[in-house]
Amino acid sequence: MRTTPTLALLAVLLLTLTGCGGTTTGGTSAGAPAAKSVILITPNPASTNSFLQLSVKGAQAAAKEIGASFKLYESKDPAGIAQNVDAAVRAKPTVIVGVSFSFDDVFATVPRQHPGQQFLQIDSCAKDPAPNLTCVSFKEHEAAYLAGVEAGLLSESGKIGIVLPIDSPFIHRWIDPFFTGAKAVNPKVTGTPLYVGGNTPFSDPARAKAQAQALAGQGADIIAAAASGGNQGVFEAAAEAHVKSFGVDVNQCPQSPGNVIDNVLKHVDVAEAAAIKDIAAGKTGGVKVYGLAEGGVGVNALGDDLASSQCTVAASPQVVAKVKQARDDIVSGKLVVADPLAG
Amino acid sequence: MNVVDLALVSATLTASAPVVFAALGGLLCQTAGVFNMALEGQLLWGAFSGVLFSHLTGSAWLGVVGAVVTTAVYALALSVPAVAFRADPVVVAVGVNLLALGLTAFLMRVLLGAGGVYTSPDLPGLPTFAKLGLDVPVLGPQSPLVPLAPLLVAVTAWWLARTRSGLRLRGVGGHPEAALSLGLGADRYRHVAVLGAGALCGLGGAQLALGNVTLFSEGMSAGRGWVAVVAVMLGGAWPWPVLAACLLFGAAEAFGFRLQGLGLPQQAADAAPYVITLLALVVAAATRGRRRLLEAS
Repeated sequence: MRTTPTLALLAVLLLTLTGCGGTTTGGTSAGAPAAKSVILITPNPASTNSFLQLSVKGAQAAAKEIGASFKLYESKDPAGIAQNVDAAVRAKPTVIVGVSFSFDDVFATVPRQHPGQQFLQIDSCAKDPAPNLTCVSFKEHEAAYLAGVEAGLLSESGKIGIVLPIDSPFIHRWIDPFFTGAKAVNPKVTGTPLYVGGNTPFSDPARAKAQAQALAGQGADIIAAAASGGNQGVFEAAAEAHVKSFGVDVNQCPQSPGNVIDNVLKHVDVAEAAAIKDIAAGKTGGVKVYGLAEGGVGVNALGDDLASSQCTVAASPQVVAKVKQARDDIVSGKLVVADPLAG
Repeated sequence: MNVVDLALVSATLTASAPVVFAALGGLLCQTAGVFNMALEGQLLWGAFSGVLFSHLTGSAWLGVVGAVVTTAVYALALSVPAVAFRADPVVVAVGVNLLALGLTAFLMRVLLGAGGVYTSPDLPGLPTFAKLGLDVPVLGPQSPLVPLAPLLVAVTAWWLARTRSGLRLRGVGGHPEAALSLGLGADRYRHVAVLGAGALCGLGGAQLALGNVTLFSEGMSAGRGWVAVVAVMLGGAWPWPVLAACLLFGAAEAFGFRLQGLGLPQQAADAAPYVITLLALVVAAATRGRRRLLEAS
């Protein structure tokens, strides 16, 4: 277990926080009064979500680089988020980092009440952000488009599908560009999205698998997984039906070797670390958008470690070449991927 | 696309199986006079222990055995306070459910070394009938636990109606004083019913985590235990009606998926099971009400 220290820290924090946030004494405080520190607040326990784990990693790395201590406050629900932000403000760190749209509400008001405190929101931005709130957001649709290009080139039946948690505007950033990219290289492709739904749409692998099986039953030979905690269910269905899948956020190819073509990556750690360093250096405020050009999103086909990624796209160099071409076109501005949220 | 076909029947069975096991457990408790609302937590524990023992022993079947045994032990958390100390079973059940959520998440980190989702290509899952050489439609993609669920319902129906101990269990629940006058200790029967429900939830959890899928994720019971509680109430704690209620939910879920494929919005397809529940409740209440009226007149 190479992540033992992190896990131990998480376990300790979970036990000390349990919902009400409050006063944690964990972390690696330097002790000096003017010491720099970074506090990261997650909307859910970080363990449930690879994206949150990656954001913890990025903040830890950035804190180490600027010589700051790092503390993690995990929330269990919206009330927990507000309490954790309260506790973080009292601790007066260099920067308070909040991950996801769950902070839109709190970060719309709290930064104005504490103008001397720097805030950083990852993956979303509060409405009408205060000058002391910096935001980092991603162009997921650009990476989803590239995955779509791969799917369009690799599909033989011309039917592709994708399994998602719920039908919400933000989720469409993974759907619409994926199908657009596929159609760009193969106009005959038809795409079908199916949603997990139910009581816990973001972590129900059994329902996600049933949805993927329904898609396979319709003849789809590529079924992308963007179902958060349900992704493994999609991979299982793909393996059983002898079709291929895509993962999201991090490299999920090793989770189901031979069945996952590629992943729609979001390098949250890179973007977050850059933003934290900027804030520590005094460059604060504004919205920083990370797309393909900034290296904030991508696919494994573009990575240097493609050969060792266990992603099956590595076996199709002509597809990788097409993806690189599409990436270059997007970066140069020749090709603009429509943002479903902007419409 | 064909909306009703054999694949739909197969999907219904897969979706229903864990719920049927849990509901059967709830039915036993209800019959013995204990309202068991802790099915959700026990189902989750069953799923976790199934994966844990399958991982430790390298055998999915030993995983099932581990799930059955440890979930029965876990059910002591309900049976001891609720039966021996006469605590409110609803209050105890809330604790049992919340404890399962936290305990499985914590133990997953400690024992399986993973957070959120645990899966591994080496984790043995239950075999399907197709793998066992019986490649027929509907049953082919199912694990052997799936047909066991209705089989156990049949056994329970027979046991409650035809055997001395089954009738006594009903007596303990229906007329505790009468049972006591016959020298039947109600507590003994109730303990057995609650622990039996635990064992059945263990089977349901193992089917969910080793049959439906081969992984454990935090909170993966995802409300199936609550559906089981509703199925017990809807079926009036009678075995066959309860089974019918479970299948109805499974069909609604599988059918909702199909409707989505035909272009129905996800939110509407999602509501299908609840619409069906409401309709079924209304129909059940209406027929029961009429029967009561007839009996009164």
